[in-house]
Amino acid sequence: MIRKNFKKTKKKTNSNLMLFQKPAIKFKRECPLSGKNAPIINYKNIKLLQKYISETGKMLPSRITSVSYSKQKELSSEIKKARILALLPFTND
Amino acid sequence: MNIYEHTCILSQNLNPKDLKDIRTKIETIIEKNQGKIEKVEDWGLRNLAYPIKKFKKGYYSNIFFSGSGTAVFELEKFERIDENVLRFLTFKVKEVPKENSELCLKEENK
Repeated sequence: MIRKNFKKTKKKTNSNLMLFQKPAIKFKRECPLSGKNAPIINYKNIKLLQKYISETGKMLPSRITSVSYSKQKELSSEIKKARILALLPFTND
Repeated sequence: MNIYEHTCILSQNLNPKDLKDIRTKIETIIEKNQGKIEKVEDWGLRNLAYPIKKFKKGYYSNIFFSGSGTAVFELEKFERIDENVLRFLTFKVKEVPKENSELCLKEENK
């Protein structure tokens, strides 16, 4: 019984301090390239690679696109292959 | 024995006859050095993303072959000397894909 009372009081204090607490809903995005139905990363698949390139031709960082560390490594090597074969631009002014 | 993927860009000025000659020459070089051709793809005339040797277009061709490193060495030696080859890239692949890639020309367009 003592425990139950303790819980109730704790909840009330939480509601008072809502501003300083973590939000109830987590804004967590999963990696779009890993998982079951994920597309295969290949230098021939230009449409997919163009999603991860800025307008000026630079690669986008993974903190913006939320690609996992291992898949970001694959992406960067495939983009570099496509650039050598002139399928993607090095720069786009 | 490794499996290699090789793509090269040939210049825009070539006749269809000269195009065939270079492509057959590439295949003979591979077969001379105990290589075996697994798959050939023709990507046709494509726009380049940036000009190479002042050309804006080029003929792409893609070959999968299995063989040793000497075949790759001899191939790249020939392509470095030939002026009509603008770019080339070879690298190891684990498997030969069964389906054609998206860039490959359909039979209707040929």
